[in-house]
Amino acid sequence: MPLLPPIWYIKAEFIETDTGNKVSRKATIAGPQNIILGGKTIISNGAIIRGDLRRTGPGHAVVISLGRYCVVGEGCVVRPPYKTYRGNFNYYPMKIGDHVHIGAGSVVEAASIGNHVEIGKNCIIGKFTIIKDCAKIEDNTILPPNTVVPALVRFGGAPGVFVEDLPESTQEMVEQYTKQYYTRFQPLEQA
Amino acid sequence: MLNRMHDEGHNTTAVVISWTLCLRSLCTRQKQAKSREFVKKERSGLRQMACSVLFHCPCLNPPTDPPPPPSQASSSTSNHPLHTLFFCEECDAIRCDRCVSVEVSAYHCPNCLFEVPSASVRAEKNRCTNTLSVVPSDPPGLTWDTQSSSISLGAINEPPFLLFCNFCRWDSSELGIKFDKPTGLAAQLQRHEDSAPEMLEFERLKEHFATYLRAQQSSSATSQQSQPHHRSHHTSLTVATAAASSALARDIPGVSKHRRKDKDRGAGIDKEELPIYKSRIESASLGTLGLGADEEDVEFLKKLDTENGIEDVARLEQRWTGSWQGSIHSRDLRPLRMPLHSKKSKRCPVCRHILIKPEQKTQSVRYKIKLVAANYLPSIVPLFPSLTPQGLTAAQKKALSTKGSTMSVDEGIDHPLVSMHAGRTYPFQLAFTNPLYDPIHVKLSVQRQSLPSTSSSGTTDSGSTKKVPPNFAINLPTSSFPISAYAEAWEYEDEDEEEMLLDDEALAIGGSGISSSNNTGSRKGKGGSSSANIGVIERKANVTVVGGEVVVGKEGRGDVKFNMMVSYTYRSDEPSQTTSIKGEGKTRTAASEMKTFSFWVVVHLGGIIVRDREKDRDRERGSEENPREG
Ligand SMILES: [Zn+2]
Ligand SMILES: [Zn+2]
Ligand SMILES: [Zn+2]
Ligand SMILES: [Zn+2]
Repeated sequence: MPLLPPIWYIKAEFIETDTGNKVSRKATIAGPQNIILGGKTIISNGAIIRGDLRRTGPGHAVVISLGRYCVVGEGCVVRPPYKTYRGNFNYYPMKIGDHVHIGAGSVVEAASIGNHVEIGKNCIIGKFTIIKDCAKIEDNTILPPNTVVPALVRFGGAPGVFVEDLPESTQEMVEQYTKQYYTRFQPLEQA
Repeated sequence: MLNRMHDEGHNTTAVVISWTLCLRSLCTRQKQAKSREFVKKERSGLRQMACSVLFHCPCLNPPTDPPPPPSQASSSTSNHPLHTLFFCEECDAIRCDRCVSVEVSAYHCPNCLFEVPSASVRAEKNRCTNTLSVVPSDPPGLTWDTQSSSISLGAINEPPFLLFCNFCRWDSSELGIKFDKPTGLAAQLQRHEDSAPEMLEFERLKEHFATYLRAQQSSSATSQQSQPHHRSHHTSLTVATAAASSALARDIPGVSKHRRKDKDRGAGIDKEELPIYKSRIESASLGTLGLGADEEDVEFLKKLDTENGIEDVARLEQRWTGSWQGSIHSRDLRPLRMPLHSKKSKRCPVCRHILIKPEQKTQSVRYKIKLVAANYLPSIVPLFPSLTPQGLTAAQKKALSTKGSTMSVDEGIDHPLVSMHAGRTYPFQLAFTNPLYDPIHVKLSVQRQSLPSTSSSGTTDSGSTKKVPPNFAINLPTSSFPISAYAEAWEYEDEDEEEMLLDDEALAIGGSGISSSNNTGSRKGKGGSSSANIGVIERKANVTVVGGEVVVGKEGRGDVKFNMMVSYTYRSDEPSQTTSIKGEGKTRTAASEMKTFSFWVVVHLGGIIVRDREKDRDRERGSEENPREG
């Protein structure tokens, strides 16, 4: 909707890619060759994305993939989960779907996050957590490792537990919101 | 809990989460409690802090009546955010989560996500056989993966096995629960559950009513055909409920007379013929449930005073879902299998048509049928022009940009509530978005603030019957205004809107019934209005913004919250129909294929700041004790 006020960012601080991704120069993108951004995705100031923590072994490996219309909030840390399996320490890839917003200050070590997921501010999403489509994680939630968040529910608290089912129209609501957010995210030439 | 460590080698910040946090210790408990409190506060705060337009579902008051004024507490239960509402095409009416009838369409475990066939749901008592939740000392809802949580006593992989919690290091030896093998722990636990007193009692109850239920089922099987929408599961539930209430009616004097009408329904066995039920446990032997054992209780209470003593009390959340009064000691809590979740179908309570039908697949978020109100009614968003940053200076913009971060869907769209001063006028705007593929015309009328006989409008709680001037008056355009049709293109084209707008003027609906001539129900502010603010402010794509004014009374106080009827006229696909079937909040213009649908919303814009003069008066009143004042 054109009526909502824009969310301004300073043009010089962001790099815009051909597919419309907007990545802050103040973000730390480690191992960019191992990171996929789906397009129209925003990486905010101070975010840290650890594509460098990859599985041992030769060749390319996708470590972190983000879909379209995602936002990684300010100061977020996104890093792949790890474990020692049969004596071998390894990192495991993380997949994040479309229309996923991660609030400022959250730390994410999930194995997979579906589409249309909202993660609040200052959350800790523990290792190998699985978050299904249209789930919502409230601000300040701590999800212990291996937590499973089913589709269309709201989780909250520390440790995060089921709070309520979400309405049937959640997908449309979130999609509309994330698209609007991208449109509202406008560059500002510095004076 | 979270240590940010500086990783020297890579010169980047690595984050290590150490999960050695013991959820049993008091410190984390307090943290938990605090953060939960915080979350709760924030959640409720959001709802209160934002301007809102809530939509009225007519299920709680007669459809012909206007909704109760928003100052009444009863109004809050029937107003909902648009995106939570449903729409029945058959009845042409709004439905809400409170009034739809709900049926379970599939069960699944929220942790392992397996779908559980309804046959095994009953056998496994609505719980999952793979996952355990509610470790006694853990917060309720924390789950437990049985695969990784068993440890072996003695030699590795030799029985007996214990349950072991990775988070708090609790193990099941505290409860004396041991397992023969490290797999299927939940199934082994179910054996324990099955011998619990509440289960035995329940089995006994079922046995007692078995003959009666069978008779009921066979007799209702015939009547079921006349009601094809009922599913057998549903019916058997009703029968069980009826049986239970009949037992209740017999045992409690005075209840039975309300039961007469039930009797006609329940053909077959007369409930009176059932023998009296005897429970397994005599109520005289209830000493263990807290009625006896005095000394032990005293000891327990004494211990509560000591540090961490409260840890020994099982929290309410851990106890109150039990069907049996359990022990109050946290050491007696048992791990439980994960309760199942379900996917639900929803039906219109009046015509029984399906409004929501989810896809069967467990984690699919798609629906075979989904009739939500947001696809039928225009959405309404309140805006305050003075708060929208349009003429910002660069410095202000910079401040904004550094502040800007992700907002949640809940808070992102709404303005915060506005504080208004008594005796002033405030412009506001309402943005209407049309979800229909046809253009619509919308007409607004604000419900009168002061009602006869009741103490007037607002939140004045002085029970006086004398007429009080309304706290505020609302001026909105009284004539109808158009909103263009929704088109998929709106989402993609940000620039080429102008030409499409021109088309729309031509599409505008021919004039008779909906022209601005009728001013019914309008209540012009007595002082007249600075009309520049009132009327259509902007039209863009399928959005029309109309401006209005709040005129706050000199003695105004309380919330600026009002009921508003929204009527929209649209072109119907079908040619002119006969007459309406059930006129719930709906009127149809009979003449043409134009139809009008009306619904109520409650608009909450902000609160009135009490005038300084009042404060002065209060201050005076406060200093009356002072002898100099006389
Ligand atoms: Zn309702
Ligand atoms: Zn399960
Ligand atoms: Zn534990
Ligand atoms: Zn209906």
